[in-house]
Amino acid sequence: MKENMLCTKTHEYALELENNKFEIGITDYAIEQLGDIVFIELPEVDTEFAKNEVFSTIESVKAASEIYMPISGKVIEINEAIVDSPELLNDEAYADKWLVKIETEANQVELADLMDYSDYIEEVK
Amino acid sequence: MVKQTILHDEHVKLGAKMVDFAGWHMPVQYTSIIEEHKTVRESVGLFDVSHMGEVIVKGPDALKFLNKLVPQDISKLTDTKAVYCQLTNNNGGIKDDWIVYKLKNEEYLVIANASMVEQDVNWIAMNKGELNVDIINESHNYSMIAIQGPKACDLIKDIGVTELPPFFSIKETELLGNIVWVSRTGYTGEDGVEVILKNKDAVELWNTLLEKGVTYGVKPIGLGARDTLRLESAMPLYGNDLDENTSPIEAGLGWSVPKDKTENYNGKETITKHRQEGYAKKLVGFKMLDRGIARHEYEVYFNNEKIGVVTSGGVSPTRGDNIGLAYVKNLDNLTVGSTIQIMIRDKFYNAEIVKKPFIEKRNK
Repeated sequence: MKENMLCTKTHEYALELENNKFEIGITDYAIEQLGDIVFIELPEVDTEFAKNEVFSTIESVKAASEIYMPISGKVIEINEAIVDSPELLNDEAYADKWLVKIETEANQVELADLMDYSDYIEEVK
Repeated sequence: MVKQTILHDEHVKLGAKMVDFAGWHMPVQYTSIIEEHKTVRESVGLFDVSHMGEVIVKGPDALKFLNKLVPQDISKLTDTKAVYCQLTNNNGGIKDDWIVYKLKNEEYLVIANASMVEQDVNWIAMNKGELNVDIINESHNYSMIAIQGPKACDLIKDIGVTELPPFFSIKETELLGNIVWVSRTGYTGEDGVEVILKNKDAVELWNTLLEKGVTYGVKPIGLGARDTLRLESAMPLYGNDLDENTSPIEAGLGWSVPKDKTENYNGKETITKHRQEGYAKKLVGFKMLDRGIARHEYEVYFNNEKIGVVTSGGVSPTRGDNIGLAYVKNLDNLTVGSTIQIMIRDKFYNAEIVKKPFIEKRNK
C-alpha cells in the first residue's frame, strides 16, 4: 500500500482508495522526526481545500507543525481516533494513521509534482 | 561554527536526535521526550550540560565585584554554598541568570547560560574598573553532567561519592580517581547533583553512570525533556522568560533580590522602584482549560483586551495537561483563578491562571 503513496517534499502523502477518493496523511519519516505527538487538529467534514493549503496542525512536545494538502479536494471523513488519542501516531503497532479522506477532482497536473514513495524515501535518506 | 561537547559522540552512539541549540550540537531526545521526562520524575536521568559556562572570579575584590553585578547579596554566601541570581544591566533588566558558588574565601564559581557566557565575560570585564579581581573563563576546559531524579543520589553514592553536599552546596571530591566538583543543584525540580569536571574525565563518568545506573533505571535525557521538566517546576529559561527588558521583580524572582542589601549594584534604582512603587507586567503560570497548546510568543487576552504574551508553554507529562508561563499586565483583578484566553492559530482558547510551580517541589 505504501508503494502507492504519492508524497510531498513537506512529508504529506496522498493515497488513492478508489476513483477520485484519496486518503491524506503524513509519512512515517515525518512522524519519526516529530517525536511524541500530543495534539492533532483536523478540519470539519465538507471543508474544501486547495492544493498546498494548510488543513491540519500537528503538535509534538517540541513544536506545532502545519500540514498541507498534497492535492485539492473536499473532506469526506476525518480520523476521529487519532484526534482523541494523538499518541496513536507514534504507536508502531497501530495502522490507521491517516488524517482525512477527501474527494477530489484533481487532474494529472496537480499530481505531477508528487513523488512516488520510493523516490520520497531516497529524498529524505 | 557549531560547537560539540566532549560527550557528543556518546550521544550519537546512543542514537540521539541532535539539534543546534545555543551554538552547540546537542541531543534533543534519545527515545521520546515524554518517556525521558517520566524517567527523571520516577527514577534517574543523565543530562550532558557541558554547553553551560563556567567562570571563575577570584581575588581580594571578588566579593565586592560580584555584589556590584547582581541584586543577590553575595556577602551572605559561606564557603561551599551556592545561590541563584541574575546578572543585571544598568536599567535593572536581566542579561543572564547564574548560579554563583563560593568555593573559598576570595574565590567564586559562576555557572552561566551557554549562549550568554561570552557576553557575560565581556560585560563583567567592563565593570571591573580598578578592582583587584581575576575573571577566568574556564568553559572550554570543563564538562558538566547533571544526574537528576529520586534515585539520583543513590546512583552517585554507588559510584563513589559517599557523602553528598547539602542542597545548593558544592563539594570538591574524588570520583573515579579524578578531582571533580559535585553540586546539589539542578534544573528539573528533582533532587540530584551536577558534576563539574575536566573535559578529559567526562566520557568515563558518563559511561560509568549509564552502566552502574541500570539498576536504578537510568536513561540519558535530551534538551526536550530538560525543557518540559523545568517548565513544570516553573524555573525560568533565559531568552524565553527572562530578557534585558525585564527586571527580576517583574519575573517573579523577588525572592532572589534581598531587601536589606546595602551595596549598590547595576540596575538597583529600577529594581528598587519596581519593588516599592509597582511595575507594569508580571510573570504568571497558567493551565489550558480548552484543548490546545500555548507556545512562546502567543498572545494573551483578558476581558477582550490583549494583556500579554506567552513566554514558555507546552505539555506537562506529569500533570497530563498543557501549561505555560506568560507576561501579563500587572492588573489587580488578574490573579490565580482568573480565566484568560490564549490566541492559538487565530482562535481563542481558555486558560486559567494557577500557582507556580505547576508540580510539588521534590528537592530540598
